[in-house]
Amino acid sequence: MSELGEGRKEGNRPKIGPIDGDPVSTHPDLEKLSPFQRGLREALLREFKARKAKKFVEKQVRYINANRQVAEEIKILFDENGQPPANAPMEDIIAERRQLEYQVKWFEAMTIELQTRLLRIREIEALALDLLERSPEG
Amino acid sequence: MASPLFLLAPPRSYTSLMNAMLGQHPQAFGLPELCLFNVEILRQLWIRNSDEMGGDARTRHGVLRAVAEIYAGEQTMQAVRMAQHWCAARQNHSVASVYQELVAKIDPLVAVEKSPSYTVDVKRMRAIYRAFPDARFLHLTRHPVGQCKSVMSLYEGTFALSVNSIEFQADRAVVEPQYAWHDCNINILNFLDSVPPEQQMRVRGEDMMSDPPEHLGRICRWLGLRHDAEAIEQMMHPERSPFACFGPLDALFGNDPNFLSGPTFRPHKVKVPPLDRPVPWREDGQGLKPEVVELAREFGY
Repeated sequence: MSELGEGRKEGNRPKIGPIDGDPVSTHPDLEKLSPFQRGLREALLREFKARKAKKFVEKQVRYINANRQVAEEIKILFDENGQPPANAPMEDIIAERRQLEYQVKWFEAMTIELQTRLLRIREIEALALDLLERSPEG
Repeated sequence: MASPLFLLAPPRSYTSLMNAMLGQHPQAFGLPELCLFNVEILRQLWIRNSDEMGGDARTRHGVLRAVAEIYAGEQTMQAVRMAQHWCAARQNHSVASVYQELVAKIDPLVAVEKSPSYTVDVKRMRAIYRAFPDARFLHLTRHPVGQCKSVMSLYEGTFALSVNSIEFQADRAVVEPQYAWHDCNINILNFLDSVPPEQQMRVRGEDMMSDPPEHLGRICRWLGLRHDAEAIEQMMHPERSPFACFGPLDALFGNDPNFLSGPTFRPHKVKVPPLDRPVPWREDGQGLKPEVVELAREFGY
């Protein structure tokens, strides 16, 4: 119990958690636990990490599947000779057209961004060359 | 310098929403979770302290976003890089002085912060009080069943496990979040015993959700802030906080991810479950511990 402002003292209501010590560090006070309990705790932590890793992998697999899906969708527009199939459903064609429009817009935005960066770096380059030319050693 | 307001509560107790609401008051500034008082010296926030639970980089996102917003007026990757330099320049400063510097910078606005991690250790709350002897403390409570269910639904109960909220059975250990609910609240109560009554207030989160204008007005009066209709209206829009969204790629968090994805407030009446029924996160049909029930009753549940 410690004393703080105006002589008021901290309370000492008891806690009920089975483990003492700094709770979020690697140094919880495990002294009160039997070796068996420590083993159980470690097993629980291992299980938790395994579940976390599994969820991460599942998420990554979903992304990979999404990329494959895009490839699959584009395939309907082309047959083995690179020609559009005669019997492509109208809905698929519209969906594909929208998807392609979206991707075109995205690439356009990327191009604008890259051109802006290119412009900026050209200005810096020109300025640097100009400075070099004007310097007495140049 | 305006004394800050600290919200004290275990995680998943409406703290994100309350913090953002109070922070939208025209005379206040709602900060993200700074977690500064988890450590003593700023650079310790950059030192990984747990090999058991994995990375803890997210604890730094709050301070980086706050510095970016306060000093650069924006939260971009460039501003976060500036914030990293700002922190590096103060790496050997005490967290108390760093915090005081931030509070002075936003003065005369009242800094409002909640970092649930402060409640896992009385030492952290004690350090806040030493740094800000005039600070106000708002103890926010939530029904143990609602809070524990919410803890278990977020990242597989990571919080409960990280604070060793574990129950040992004959042949296995299971995560039991009610230990954390109880002990965090006990830490708060023990700490608040050392704080003058006029500097502390307790509010039930469920009451806030059902009638926010009434309770926000009461809190404002206690803080000595405006409590007119316009100020209350401002506080009804936590989503307008600059921290009520994900940050740039190098400092995405700084708050509860659920809040970051949906910060808009919708008043609703929270159904308060009974205290004497089996709890949903246990497979063996057990209910709340007697100590938890007793404390919940003390909070008015």
